[in-house]
Amino acid sequence: MSFKINMNVEGDTATIRLAGELDGRSAPELNDLVSQAVGRQVAKLVLLLDELTYMSSAGVRCLVFAHQKLPRGSEITLVGTQPEVAETIRLTGFDRSIMMR
Amino acid sequence: MPTALVVAEPGNTGSTAVLELDGALRLEGFEVEHAVPDDLMLNRPSPDLLLVSAALGLQRVALLCQRFVVDGRTPTVVAFPDDDIGALEECVRGGFDYVTRPFLPSLLRSRVNSCFERWQLSSTVEEMAALASLREYERELSIAREIQAGFLPESMPELDGWEIAASFRPARQVAGDFYDVFTLVNGRRLAFVVADVCDKGVGAALFMALIRTLLRHTAEHTGLVQLSGDDLTAVVGGASYPAPLPLLSLGAGPLVQAVVGTNRYMARNHLKQGYFATMFFGVLDPRSGDLVYINGGHNPPVMVRADGRQSLLPPTGPAVGILPDSSYTLGHVRLGPGDALFTYTDGVVEARNADHGLYGTARLQEVLARPGVNAGDLLEAVDSAVRHFVGTAEQSDDITTLALRRTPR
Repeated sequence: MSFKINMNVEGDTATIRLAGELDGRSAPELNDLVSQAVGRQVAKLVLLLDELTYMSSAGVRCLVFAHQKLPRGSEITLVGTQPEVAETIRLTGFDRSIMMR
Repeated sequence: MPTALVVAEPGNTGSTAVLELDGALRLEGFEVEHAVPDDLMLNRPSPDLLLVSAALGLQRVALLCQRFVVDGRTPTVVAFPDDDIGALEECVRGGFDYVTRPFLPSLLRSRVNSCFERWQLSSTVEEMAALASLREYERELSIAREIQAGFLPESMPELDGWEIAASFRPARQVAGDFYDVFTLVNGRRLAFVVADVCDKGVGAALFMALIRTLLRHTAEHTGLVQLSGDDLTAVVGGASYPAPLPLLSLGAGPLVQAVVGTNRYMARNHLKQGYFATMFFGVLDPRSGDLVYINGGHNPPVMVRADGRQSLLPPTGPAVGILPDSSYTLGHVRLGPGDALFTYTDGVVEARNADHGLYGTARLQEVLARPGVNAGDLLEAVDSAVRHFVGTAEQSDDITTLALRRTPR
């Protein structure tokens, strides 16, 4: 399943759109973009997930990474999360550290 | 006069093989020089013939050859055994030519000639070096795999009236999944763990070793009840059960300490690396069938009652190592005769077939619905159903399963 990702930084907000499947193979691409966003000192990270069909534990690890790398008090927001993906995140308990809309 | 360079380990420069080789080469009119691998760091002119002791190992033999590459060409390289025939085999498998004792001048000349011809035809040294690196890497991984196997229990504790079975099938050489089964409080409790370190491969495997050790060590070294209040908000899950607080029951202390302690350790020391583990950790009283557990962000195990009814044991706290201040609740169930608990990692429900479909929880529960199956057969039924579903597709994730069943009366 093809994976697509792109990022847009405006002001203090980085918006990353993900499509396809986020697993061990595609996770490094998200990590790279998160690192770039951190380098540009954003305070908000928005992930647009309406086209993301699957997230493995390696994908959840990316979110944990992002949470670690962003400065304290930064917001991570997931938008349009599909039920299966939301369930994966909820299962690990990491939904407490982010916002899902 | 053609030149030959003989390279051997410092300890082997005077070995029978080296001396014989030296004599035979000289009789055949070679000008012979000797070197140990470290000498070759310096630029030295390429000999016509390079004889390398196989005792250096394939990787070093290949790297050594690279030093003599001039304009993409190298001298004819031939390996010889310096007592270790296994090392020579490895070099030959890696694509190198070889000579063996006895090194009689005429035989050596003819071997060297044919080696020279073959060498001209054979793959480039770069390719061979790459192959050698790959083999070395594979060897390292297989060592890692062996070591990891040592982090799984060697055998299952035997308990009257109970069946325990576990299966571990990594997707790669090494895995982030693991299971553990051991007794606590002088054999009065049975502890079992099924866990999944996020991601897979070597990174996950290293954390698997750490987390398994922390959990087991803490559980085995925690006294009965010595909980400090701020670490834990323990309440009874499934409050309908009118029993003494599981918190006060034997084994609950070690369980809570193990999970909370491991989480604290991970959060304090490894949060930046972003690894975490989902886990189901249960402590069973084999006499009563009472099971206290913590489910840290793990796929809900399936309780299969003797009459076929099923229920799930959802998380009682977050994955371990994901947050610094996680709190965990104790869950409780009781297993009666014929009841079974099936615990698994996400490799089961996220197994994929060639059409990229997921196996899913519904299919799993269907397989578990067959009544009266013992623990070992239960695992086999799930395993074969998953294999059947996956078909020719590649196994994408580690798969670990554990079944605990109270034998029917």
